[in-house]
Amino acid sequence: MGGFLRRHKRVVPYLLLAPGLLWLAVFYVVPGIQMFMTSLWSGTLETGYEFALSNVSNYTQALQRFWPQFSRSILYGGAATLLTFAISYPLAYTIAFRGGRYKNLLLFLVVAPFFTSFLLRTVSWKIILGDTGILLGPLKDLGFLPEEFRLLATPIAVVAGITYNFLPFMTLPIYVSLEKIDKRLVEAAEDLFASSIGAFRRITFPLSLPGVFAGSLLTFIPAMGDYVNAELLGSPETTMIGNVIQNQFLTQNNYPTASALSFILMAGILISVGIYARLLGTDELTAGGV
Amino acid sequence: MNETPPTNRGHLSRRRFVQGSALAGFATFLAACGRSATSVAPSVAPSSAPSAAPSAAASAAPTATVAPTPKPTMSAELNFANWTYYMDVDPNDETKFKTLEDFKAEYGTTVKYPENIDGNDSFIGTIRPQLVAGQDTGWDLIVVTDWMAARLIRLGWVEAMDLGNMPNVVANLQDVYKGVSWDATDDHHVPWQSGMTGLGYDEAKTGALTSLDALWDPKYKGKVIYLDEMRDTIGLTMLKLGLDPSKATVADCDAAVAEIKKATDAGIVRAFMGNKYAEELKSGNAVLSMAWSGDMVQALLDKPTLKFTIADEGGMLWTDNVLIPKAALHAYTAQVMIDFCYRPAIAAQIAAYVNYISPVKGAAEVLLAKDPDIANNPLIFPPPAILEKLHIFNGLNEADEKYFNDKFATVSGLG
Repeated sequence: MGGFLRRHKRVVPYLLLAPGLLWLAVFYVVPGIQMFMTSLWSGTLETGYEFALSNVSNYTQALQRFWPQFSRSILYGGAATLLTFAISYPLAYTIAFRGGRYKNLLLFLVVAPFFTSFLLRTVSWKIILGDTGILLGPLKDLGFLPEEFRLLATPIAVVAGITYNFLPFMTLPIYVSLEKIDKRLVEAAEDLFASSIGAFRRITFPLSLPGVFAGSLLTFIPAMGDYVNAELLGSPETTMIGNVIQNQFLTQNNYPTASALSFILMAGILISVGIYARLLGTDELTAGGV
Repeated sequence: MNETPPTNRGHLSRRRFVQGSALAGFATFLAACGRSATSVAPSVAPSSAPSAAPSAAASAAPTATVAPTPKPTMSAELNFANWTYYMDVDPNDETKFKTLEDFKAEYGTTVKYPENIDGNDSFIGTIRPQLVAGQDTGWDLIVVTDWMAARLIRLGWVEAMDLGNMPNVVANLQDVYKGVSWDATDDHHVPWQSGMTGLGYDEAKTGALTSLDALWDPKYKGKVIYLDEMRDTIGLTMLKLGLDPSKATVADCDAAVAEIKKATDAGIVRAFMGNKYAEELKSGNAVLSMAWSGDMVQALLDKPTLKFTIADEGGMLWTDNVLIPKAALHAYTAQVMIDFCYRPAIAAQIAAYVNYISPVKGAAEVLLAKDPDIANNPLIFPPPAILEKLHIFNGLNEADEKYFNDKFATVSGLG
């Protein structure tokens, strides 16, 4: 075997790629095709389904009916991504440059909440943000807030929940790209009389952009499809497209519409990521490697 | 009193498991994808060939003349699919079920009883291909909620039972369960356990409530929860409007949805939830909710100021029913099993373990001697005055069901 590989070096990359490609084919491409076919069905669970290309109207109808939930998903996902960035960047910066011997401990703390289940972490926010909970209760008792004020069942709670849940996905990539920066570049800039803000703006930040790019994709994509936060922390006015897809699949057994919605969501994400990559000029960024 | 936690009452209510069924539901979807579009045409074959079932009962029924034919024999095994926490666990051996052991002792039949139903759609998804093809599903008894029972009966996927084999069912079934719209002959289903849908509220915050109007009261703005089960929320709303949910029409649905929309537009409704509402009531995030009796049995123990009441306008009664799926191999034994569970002593034994309502007359009287706390709990044994106020939701045909679900999804924020 070893001899074979040495003689056919060109095969090696394909062999290494094979498990991943197989995985993608079986669990992404095949279900993807199946879902696409489903999205062009008409009929019901009881009468049976029929495939027809004319059922492309499933898509237009879904868009027409569910655009508020779609736009809400983009809005909440976008807001949460910006917020995670605003919180994560200073955090990652501090760990990377000021962490010292506590670096590993701090990194561990960033990931630590992930040892608990996603659902539990989200549900605990209900306790913290409860109408008379540990945060709002005392504030209301002291008269700082009106009795009917609430955070739960508002868009704020949903966006906050998503932000919290995806924080490490933003922090870690940014940390990695900051950590890699050659400190001598910053020193050189300062030797050339750049202010520390100037050095950050001209040297550190641009060099950390691959991390920002990776982090925002890792946050935005799942945040847009998330429905757990909206379900647990939201109200009827905060439902996202994920909630609609779940309802169509599991409650209504409306597989064609649910599949069409999933495809529209996928397309929407691809398009917005494409625009984003164009704006940031990712080809150059990823060439540098994350 | 306080030192001894109520035994067997710490378990989860079975609706909690409905929510865990997301994965199973997705599996159903995948199964649906796997079928070719043409192979689905249902119901024609099974209903046109009623004698396809090689079951004991089926062979007994057609030959019945004036004199009763000899009793078919009991089978050695019986396959019974049910929800979790729906059968009494043997207090001496947690791996066994007392009622099933008793059945075996009397009839020699071993009951295979996996608690494998965790969602109506997801479970039926697992046996759909056999039902479509008119083949044995592997189950002799299954338990599904009213609306699913209605759907299965409508599709001709359920064996009729011979009530002659079931004297206890005939004698002991509570009257409120008789004559449902979706089982004209009343011999395709037998109620297993029921729950009531009514008002759950924190009396310390709201005072005593007797009317469904409270669910629309701006006083409780943002503190009211509606259920995410279409039949419960539409049903209670119809009662509020003075309509009869057991005869719900598309026009009634529109009226109810418009009424619900008033509450959501005014910000009165905080959320549409499954049984998570109980947590909201306990934490004080909500003061009033549409609520299920089984959950409230638990919640009342945790927070004594909580109350469950059936409003003056009425409440909903939903039932999980035991059915014999088409072509079941041991249909006669299955009927004997159902009848066994309708003996008041056995029903009492089950009721003492399950939080929900027993549909069996006489079970309360048996329990009165053994366990008066349970027998006197109006959430488990509602008195006749309450039972009279309960309504069973109309068995909808497929088109109407889709219409109702669709309108309800829209008003609950799901587009």
